[in-house]
Amino acid sequence: MSERTSHRKPTTFKLDDPRVMVISADDTSRPSRGTVQVTPEADPALLPVLVETPVEPSMRRGFRWGTVFWSAIAGLTLLGVGLGITGLIEDLFAKSEGLGFLGLGFAFAAALALSAVAAREAFGLMRLSSIEKLHRRAAAVLLSDDRRESRDIVQDLVKLAHQNPHLARARAALQGHAGDIIDGADLIRLAERELMTPLDQEARRLVSQAAQRVSILTAVSPRALIDVLFVLLASLRLIRQLARLYGGRPGTLGMIALMRHVIGHVAITGGMAASDSLVQQVLGHGIAAKLSQRLGEGILNGLLTARLGLAAIDVTRPLPFTALPRPALADLAKDLLRKRDVEEG
Amino acid sequence: MALRFSDIVEEARLSARALKDYGDHFFHPTVRLGVTGLSRAGKTVFITALIRGLTRGGRFPVFEPLASGRIARARLEPQPDDAVPRFDYENHVKTLVEARRWPNSTVDISELRLVIDYQRPNGADRTLTLDIVDYPGEWLLDLPLLNQSYEQWSSQSLALSRQLPRERLAAPWHAYLATLKPQEPADEQAALAAARLFTDYLGACRDERFAMSLLPPGRFLMPGNLAGSPALTFAPLDLPADGVAPEGSLWAMMVRRYEAYKDVVVRPFFRDHFSRLDRQVVLVDALAAFNAGPAALVDLEAALAGILDCFRIGRSTFISSLFRPRIDRILFAASKADHLHHSSHDRLEAVLRRTVSGAVARAADTGADIDVVALSAVRATREAQVQRGRDKWPAILGTPSSGEIADGEAFDGSTEVATFPGELPGDPEQLFAGNGAFAGLSTAAAEQTDFRFLRFRPPQLESADAQGPALPHIRLDRALQFLIGDRLQ
Repeated sequence: MSERTSHRKPTTFKLDDPRVMVISADDTSRPSRGTVQVTPEADPALLPVLVETPVEPSMRRGFRWGTVFWSAIAGLTLLGVGLGITGLIEDLFAKSEGLGFLGLGFAFAAALALSAVAAREAFGLMRLSSIEKLHRRAAAVLLSDDRRESRDIVQDLVKLAHQNPHLARARAALQGHAGDIIDGADLIRLAERELMTPLDQEARRLVSQAAQRVSILTAVSPRALIDVLFVLLASLRLIRQLARLYGGRPGTLGMIALMRHVIGHVAITGGMAASDSLVQQVLGHGIAAKLSQRLGEGILNGLLTARLGLAAIDVTRPLPFTALPRPALADLAKDLLRKRDVEEG
Repeated sequence: MALRFSDIVEEARLSARALKDYGDHFFHPTVRLGVTGLSRAGKTVFITALIRGLTRGGRFPVFEPLASGRIARARLEPQPDDAVPRFDYENHVKTLVEARRWPNSTVDISELRLVIDYQRPNGADRTLTLDIVDYPGEWLLDLPLLNQSYEQWSSQSLALSRQLPRERLAAPWHAYLATLKPQEPADEQAALAAARLFTDYLGACRDERFAMSLLPPGRFLMPGNLAGSPALTFAPLDLPADGVAPEGSLWAMMVRRYEAYKDVVVRPFFRDHFSRLDRQVVLVDALAAFNAGPAALVDLEAALAGILDCFRIGRSTFISSLFRPRIDRILFAASKADHLHHSSHDRLEAVLRRTVSGAVARAADTGADIDVVALSAVRATREAQVQRGRDKWPAILGTPSSGEIADGEAFDGSTEVATFPGELPGDPEQLFAGNGAFAGLSTAAAEQTDFRFLRFRPPQLESADAQGPALPHIRLDRALQFLIGDRLQ
């Protein structure tokens, strides 16, 4: 019965009572003694609802002829290759038996390796899509506040986090809350705070590191072509690192899919960002750019990489940003420019 | 009980009806949505808000078809059943918005047909007909009578009336009952007096201070056009454990009238309305039980268990929809969630979930979906933090209806108050711990209760456009998504 002692009795205050004051939430003045302050809260139902733009439009229109076409072409190619190899081995056997067996051995090794690679790719793709699904489900629960579904999502998240040994403590803390009565949306927010905080920090570090590296290297590189190649490689590396960090292990096909999503995401969010923060940052540091054109280009390339990295975070992160702030380009740009200024100075 | 001929005939009639409905629905997809709840649970308000939200477009972010814009429009159409009163939607809206009063309570079955034009996600145009059937939950409590004989029902009712706190209320009837001798020749006046005292006792149990729920037969409290007929003029008798009713005795008369009640009242309702439902919402006013005390809560639990036993639940299959329609989704909704701060909504949900836990387990076996939600169809309050010195309360702001009393003060219906209604425990089991679990109006004085949920007036709404204002709500969209979201795919 220990709960009974802390039990609060029902109370009612009339608002037209002179001792009752209705104040607004941002009023921080000290209340006078003996009065009752009533602070109306914003209506949670009327707050703007954070709806994520889907990473990829999930609408499926009719029969997918394109898929059929590519599958058929791939099948034909495979058959052709198989036929070629069979012909080769037959020829080898005709020349000498030893050569024939050697060729057969190579063919088997190649087939084995191919199936292993294919399995790994498929596995990587599956993981990516399961993370994406998790992201979508979490976004839906934030809207619907469904408790049972949020429990399932947290279970899946914990399973995912199990592969990252640095999250052991956060995972245990989250599992401690599993039995509590928490609103569906609140549980997702709790999971985000517990599990994603260390990962987000690491992700931010990775992105700003990559951006710095790109900006320095493109500032000193002699040719534009090398710039382009380097930016491409650095962004691929960054995306792979981020995907690993958040629990996906993409293979080659997975990387292609991810790259597509990331670029799509940049395209969706791109216009907005380019019009404010990016231009501001570049113009604000116009003096640096005037000092040296190459330096300005370097900063621009670094910022582009950072933007790509941020888009990659959005795509690879298993939970949408709600409780934690989304890392903004401005923060990363500040890191980048500060570093630059220090070097300049 | 052995299968009787009348039962077989009844089943055959149900199947024939289902087959005809299936043919109709094949070309015009139809969902029959039953809305029920014990009296004062908020059925009328729920339906009014639901229709208004669908026809006029409300703020329903979780109800996917409306939020994503796939619903082109929803319109009211004449209902198919000619013998059932129409749900008086227009007047209810007027009462709510203009007079700021809650609509009158449901005393009879009523129906309304809503036709929804929508596009499927792949672009095809479709139409869904939604028949909303509103009926008093008390009628549901009659359905178990179909499987009970008069003797069984009589002994059960008597046993129930001898428990606290009912015993005090039943005292006049008990006193009269002691003078009746079942074996003696029938006396119409004795039957009339017994029925009247029995009805008075049921009415007293429903009073706000006790808020009992399990009060069959339901028609005694809302007789409608049957008032005074022999089918409603019977009462339990103190009967010997075994033995048969002597011919011409009071006992035999009661048995005949009890059977007549089943034939005239219960069976037609079951056949014509209840057995044809596809989806069901059961609204539960748990707050009234918190006001009244632990006995009311236990009673509510028993009543809900009784209601659940009546539903034919299970996943709809082709065969079942041909011959024996089933309810495949039931939503239990703790209504009036706006009387609590939102931080307590989950605790309210947990209490309701605990109350229907048996049913949820059973439904999981049959493949039907059961969900529990704390909602408010029309939100009458705002939320606030109240601070006095070091004490802080999560409170709600609203205008109590006139005549409501808190802390010894009566309200006039125009004063706004901030109220903290009491704290729901984190573990619902605490509330079910027995008679001393918490203090309610039925046992304690008004100042010592653990909960005080005031009744608020509907909110003041500004109307921005010609159609009138949208009604604010809590989680009505989630309820809709659960009930008909899948049929709009």
